[in-house]
Amino acid sequence: MAQAVIAQPAVARLRGSNARSRRIVDRIATAALWGASSLVVLLLLLFIGFEFYRGASSISWQFLTGSPTAGTAGGGIGPLIFNSFYVLILTLAFTVPISVCAGMYLQEYSAGGRFKAIVQFSAESLATVPSIVMGLFGLLVFVSALHWHFTALGGALTLTLLNLPAMMRVTQEALAGVPGTYREASMACGATKWQTVLKVILPSAIGPLTTGVVLVSGRIFGETAALIYTAGASVSYGRSAYDVNPFHTAETLAVGLYQVHREALVPDVDRIANGSALVLLVMVLVFNVVARVVGRALTLRFTGKAR
Amino acid sequence: MVGVRASKAHRDEGIALVVLMSCSALFVIAIALILGFLAFNGTRLFWGDHYSPLKFLFGTDWDGFGGHYGAATFIAGSLVATGMAIAIGGPLGVAIGVFFSELAPKRVATAFKPAIEVLVGIPSVVYGWLGLTLLVPAIATVFHLPDGDGLLAAGIVLSIMILPTVISLSEDALRVVPNSLREGSAALGATRWETITKVLLPSASSGIAVAVILGVARAIGETLAVQLVLGNAAILPTSLLKPAAALTSEIVMDMGDAPDGSGFKHALFAMAFLLLLISMGLILLIRLALRRRT
Repeated sequence: MAQAVIAQPAVARLRGSNARSRRIVDRIATAALWGASSLVVLLLLLFIGFEFYRGASSISWQFLTGSPTAGTAGGGIGPLIFNSFYVLILTLAFTVPISVCAGMYLQEYSAGGRFKAIVQFSAESLATVPSIVMGLFGLLVFVSALHWHFTALGGALTLTLLNLPAMMRVTQEALAGVPGTYREASMACGATKWQTVLKVILPSAIGPLTTGVVLVSGRIFGETAALIYTAGASVSYGRSAYDVNPFHTAETLAVGLYQVHREALVPDVDRIANGSALVLLVMVLVFNVVARVVGRALTLRFTGKAR
Repeated sequence: MVGVRASKAHRDEGIALVVLMSCSALFVIAIALILGFLAFNGTRLFWGDHYSPLKFLFGTDWDGFGGHYGAATFIAGSLVATGMAIAIGGPLGVAIGVFFSELAPKRVATAFKPAIEVLVGIPSVVYGWLGLTLLVPAIATVFHLPDGDGLLAAGIVLSIMILPTVISLSEDALRVVPNSLREGSAALGATRWETITKVLLPSASSGIAVAVILGVARAIGETLAVQLVLGNAAILPTSLLKPAAALTSEIVMDMGDAPDGSGFKHALFAMAFLLLLISMGLILLIRLALRRRT
C-alpha cells in the first residue's frame, strides 16, 4: 500500500523527463556524494596531520611526566594524564556493572511491559542531557549537597550518569547478536535463566561488549564540560601529583587543555595546549584501534569464529 | 544432593533478578533526580529572587553581578549556532549516509567508516582548540577581520561535530528500506539518483528526521568547542562574523565566578534547566517522528 503511494508520482515524473539529461544529473550526483564523503575523511586526516605537525615539538619525556608549573614556562602534563586514567577507571567501575546488568535485564529478562518502557525512555532522556548540564547536577549533588567539594569520585559519578545509556545500548546490541539457539540449548541442558545468561550468553557476547567498553572509555577520557565543576580544574590543592585518594581534586588532561588556555597563567600556553591536544588525539586513535583488535580477538576466542 | 543444588540455583535466580532490576531502576531514579534538582535550582531565580521569567527569556540586559539576568542573547546565540550546524551538517551528513548505504563499494566503506568513528571520539575541547587555532584565523583572513571568532566559526565547528551522528543514523534509516523498493524503482527506469531522491529518502524520512533531531540535541548542548570559538560577547547576534555567546558557553564561563546563593548563580541554573527542557523536548519530538512511521 505504502509502496504504491510512493511509486506512483515517481513514475509520472520520470515519464516527462529526458533520458540523457537524467543520466547526466545522476552522474553529477554520484560524483557529489563521493566528493562529500571523501571531504570528511580528508578533513579528519588534515586535523590529525595538523595536530602532529604542531604538537610533536611539545612532546618530550619531561612534558609527558613533569608537573604543571604556576607562572613559569616548562610545565608538564604528567599528573593530568594520570588523573584522566584514574577518573576513567573509577567511572568504568560504576558504569560497566550497572549498565551491563540493566542491559541484561532489558534484553534477556524483560518481555516488554511498562517497566521496560520506562527504563528505556529514561535511558534515552539521560543520553540527551548535555554534558555541561550533567556537570551542574554533579556540582549540586556531589560538590555542594554532600560537601565533597571537587573530587575525582564526584567527577567519576557524573561521568557515569553521562555514559550509562551508551554502555547499556552496547550491552543490548551485543546480547542481541547471540543466536537464540544458544539460549535454547542451554535451557534444554537444564540450566536456569541466570546460569544461561552468565555462562553462555555473556561469554558469547564478550567481543562486541569489550569493543563497546573501549569506545565508551575513549569518550570518558576526553570528556571536559562535565568535569570542570565536579572533579575540578586544578591539580595543586591539597594533593600530591600522583594521588589516588578519590576525595581529592583531579584535573584531567582534557580539562587541563581548556584551563591552560582560559587562565593563560604560563608563558608557554600554546606549547602545552598543542602538546595536550596531540596526546588526546593519539589516545582517541589508540582507543579505536584497541577496541577493534581486542574485540575481534575475544570474539574469536570465546565463540571460535570471527564476527 | 540434586535438591540442594537446584534450590541454590533457584535462590541465585531470585537474587540475580533483584540485582538486574535494581540496576535498571537506577536509570529511572537518575533522570528523576536530575530533573528534580535542576527544576528546583533552575526556577529559584523566579520564586526566590522574584525575577520575571519573561525578562529572563526575552530580556537582552545581562549583568550577572549587577542583577540583570536577561538571557535572550544567549538563547539567540545557541539557536543561531545550532541552526547553522544543522544547515551545513544536516544535508552533508544525510548525503554521506546515502553514500554509505547506496553507493560505497565494500572496500571503500571499510576504509571510510573508521574515520567517522574517530571523528566521534575526538574530545570537544580538541575540536574547540582546532577551531580556535585553525578556523578562526582562516575566517579572519578570508573576511579581512581583526578577529574571526563568532557564530560562523561556531556553526562550522558544530556542523563537523554532529556529522557522525547524522551520518550513521541516516545510513541506518536507509538500510531498513526494503530492497523491493529499489528494484521496483529501477524496473520503472529510474536512475540511481532518482531512486534515492524520489523513493528512498521519502520512505526513510522519519528515520532521517530522528538523525537530524539528535544532531540538534548534540549541537545545542555542546559547550567547550563553542565557548572557545564564539568570542563570548553578550550581544544579540546581528552578524555571523561578530562575537556572540551561547547558553552553554556562558554557563561554563561564569559558574566559577558567580557567588553561591546569588541571583547570578540562580540565573545560570535557570539557563541549564532551559537546556535540559530543550533536550527533553527533542526526545519527545523523536518519539513523535517514530510513532508516525509505525
